[in-house]
Amino acid sequence: MTENIKDTARRALELSLKYGCQSAKIVTDISTQSSYTVRDDKLDRLHQSTGSSLYLQLYVDERYGCYSSNRTEPGELENFIKNAVTATRLIASDPFRSLPPKELYYKGGKPDLKQFDSSFENISQPEKSRIAFSCASEMYKKDKRIISVNSEFGDSNDYTYMIDSQGFEGESKETLFTISAECSVKDKGDSRPESWWYESSILFENLKREGCGTKAMERALARLQPKKMKSGKYTMVVENTVSSRIISPVISALSGAAIQQNNSFLKDKLHSRIFPSDFYLSDKAHLIGAIGSRYFDGEGIATKEMNIIEAGVINCYFINSYYSKKLDMPITIEGPSVLTCTPDGKFTSGVAENNLDAILKKTDKGIFVTGFNGGNTNSSTGDFSFGVQGFYYENGVILHPIKEMNVTGNIVSLLNNLIFTGDDPRKSSRWLIPTLAFESVDFSGT
Amino acid sequence: MTKLHEMMSLFGVTEEDLKRLISIALSKGGDYADLYFEHSISNELSLRDKEVNGAGSHIDYGVGIRVLSGDRTGYAYTEITSLREMEKAAKVASGIANGNFKATEPIVVFPLLFTPRYSALLPWEDHTISDKIPYLQELNSLIFEADKRVNKVIARISDSTTKILFFNSLGVIAFDNRPMASITATCIMESEGKVENGSASRSFRCGYEFLTKEVINEIAGEVVNKTALSFEAIQPSGGEMPVVMGAGSSGILLHEAIGHSFEADFNRMNTSIFSDKLGKKICSEEISVIDDGTIFGNRGSIGFDDEGVLSQKTFMVKNGILNSYLHDRISANFYKTAPTGNGRRESFRYMPLPRMRATYMESGKSKEADIISSVKKGIFVDNFSNGQVQIGAGDFTFFVKSGYLIENGKLTKSVKDINIIGNGPDALADIVAVADNSQIDNGTWTCGKEQYCAVSCGMPSVLVSKLTVGGIN
Repeated sequence: MTENIKDTARRALELSLKYGCQSAKIVTDISTQSSYTVRDDKLDRLHQSTGSSLYLQLYVDERYGCYSSNRTEPGELENFIKNAVTATRLIASDPFRSLPPKELYYKGGKPDLKQFDSSFENISQPEKSRIAFSCASEMYKKDKRIISVNSEFGDSNDYTYMIDSQGFEGESKETLFTISAECSVKDKGDSRPESWWYESSILFENLKREGCGTKAMERALARLQPKKMKSGKYTMVVENTVSSRIISPVISALSGAAIQQNNSFLKDKLHSRIFPSDFYLSDKAHLIGAIGSRYFDGEGIATKEMNIIEAGVINCYFINSYYSKKLDMPITIEGPSVLTCTPDGKFTSGVAENNLDAILKKTDKGIFVTGFNGGNTNSSTGDFSFGVQGFYYENGVILHPIKEMNVTGNIVSLLNNLIFTGDDPRKSSRWLIPTLAFESVDFSGT
Repeated sequence: MTKLHEMMSLFGVTEEDLKRLISIALSKGGDYADLYFEHSISNELSLRDKEVNGAGSHIDYGVGIRVLSGDRTGYAYTEITSLREMEKAAKVASGIANGNFKATEPIVVFPLLFTPRYSALLPWEDHTISDKIPYLQELNSLIFEADKRVNKVIARISDSTTKILFFNSLGVIAFDNRPMASITATCIMESEGKVENGSASRSFRCGYEFLTKEVINEIAGEVVNKTALSFEAIQPSGGEMPVVMGAGSSGILLHEAIGHSFEADFNRMNTSIFSDKLGKKICSEEISVIDDGTIFGNRGSIGFDDEGVLSQKTFMVKNGILNSYLHDRISANFYKTAPTGNGRRESFRYMPLPRMRATYMESGKSKEADIISSVKKGIFVDNFSNGQVQIGAGDFTFFVKSGYLIENGKLTKSVKDINIIGNGPDALADIVAVADNSQIDNGTWTCGKEQYCAVSCGMPSVLVSKLTVGGIN
């Protein structure tokens, strides 16, 4: 199968050059997925599929077009590429578009990042189904307030092959196994709060199979009888399941596209101390066994470990080859692979000491946020407003769930009110962002 | 060759092939099966830094095969429509039934006749990039000319043409050409060191006739006004207060606050906050809420849904009574009622789910000006970016890009970038005035319930007596 899609990519590259491209990049991928969903005590959904796609980036007479198709029969592919080249010639020239400098390409020879489980094909359908049933059984009829439970086992196997006309050739294989659980419970009145949990792993043998359903059930039951609190300034502790929501606007604001389009609240802030001195964001692109680790990015450029924000100072923007030319700045990385957030720049994957419980105790009282409900961030100013769900706590002890509350402010100001950064990121996530705590945050309620 | 045969030829299948695949899909005892063939061509053209310098085209092709066994679903798709590959997919989907071989009854095939809900008078495939470029250039010029503070413009024209062939075990065969077109513009303005952004869009199911000077003028005016307003705007004091929702895009309130909770998959699973409310009074008799797939050319319209059910206008709330959930075939069977034409999907890669189409509230009798003047201290909102809901708890949110404070019955300071949160049943019951100005918003609304689906929404101006507004304390 992989040889077939390699052949397709090579043929597409030849055709692109034949019809007039000065250069081109071709990406082909093939993905196999399955999922088994159990509702209450019955198999509810069974889903299996295999799909493939061909992506073309064409550079024609200083013009650039981006195309894709899953129709790769020889005649149809040739016609598609011929038309794509013709279409690209009709747009305005963009002299900044080109393949990246060859010397920046990943050239191979590095250790295996352990992104692929070779046992993928050997896991039987009955076993996958059993895992989903087992997860559901942790919740089903375990409490009389439970009204519905759902569990799902899902797996995926993705192979990607990339070549370009400068000679780059790269491939990657990734597997992912996931168990997820959802639990709905009946509250007083008509309300039916729900909650979820999930576990993911690149390797099947490392997938944590027990406890996912129980965790979802406990989280759902904990949400019964919420109270709306008075508007005011509270300490906010954000759980490691959702703390990436706070970091995400910062990552978006660091992108070359946002900087060049004057649509970033971090424009002109390179090498400036914008954030507190104990705020570090790093890209651990080569962390073995971590979801998202990679040796080359979407342009084929070799990734490297980078301190993006170091002691509150912005060390780099995410600059790919295009925005490097447009902004006259050196190429860095197009975006993070395995993002980490630490108080000192030292990422360790050992036992967490500064975890959620510790932070709740240290912060005395406040609102512990376990989920965001809508909201957005103004990319130009950093002003944000999010709906939140979670709990009010005192003396490190959770007292009751909250409801119908918003948190509002500015992302830069919020991060400057950062008081604790945990050491407990979830390994199931692509971004390894731990529990975060902030003081004096504006909550809106009654 | 008939149009049906042209469509079958496109996917390389015969009527006998379709019957054979259904037979395999039901071979383990399923109750129902369907085949959803799709060939989609989408194009985009983009302007950045005053030049139309980005182009793209994308082809997606394949068939999804679904088997229902009671309310359980087996699903598989293939991108290769050879009989061999489709048979493999049908066998996978059949596994949901997991029973013994069952010979199926011979299928009597009948074409589904439906009223056209859209047309492409000028099909997109007849028009090249060169025909579209002048409209983006004009849009760019108009935005820059309108305000000296304009610093950057990003604009895009997207179009797609999707050919559908549908067949099911009931013998329904149907085909459709579904066009879609949209223009979006984002404007960045800078003034005295402050930077603000705004966006505007229009989207319809139609062909190249969509591109007119009028629509370009509309979008340019709207995006400039929205962005300029942000310079004066503040994040207000937060808390509970009356909220006047302006006509049109405030339909996001309906989509998030009640629309999702009325989707019958959540209700048959008893996980929606409205699960026990069918036939009961849930709000003022002045209120009727509709989900409509029949508005000609609307972004949410469909001739038939993605499981071969005719589109319709469905009263979700009629005179304050919860009149109907939004059904797909599974939930309709559960509730022993007819499906409402809401079984929709993003593409052949996804199984259909109950989804909204164009969701709006009918006009009431009040005047918007009177509603605003009745509020002593509150907020008026009419420009949104996104929303979300928790189906079971009923808490919904929507993000307000801009609006105004209401002080002593008058619009005063402009506000921006605030989230509003409420509880669906409470918010619906708290609508205390409905204006006579209902209108559909024709922006690029896209719903993200498990998979993406084009929708639209609409609303008259209404007064909600109490919602929680995000803000600074």
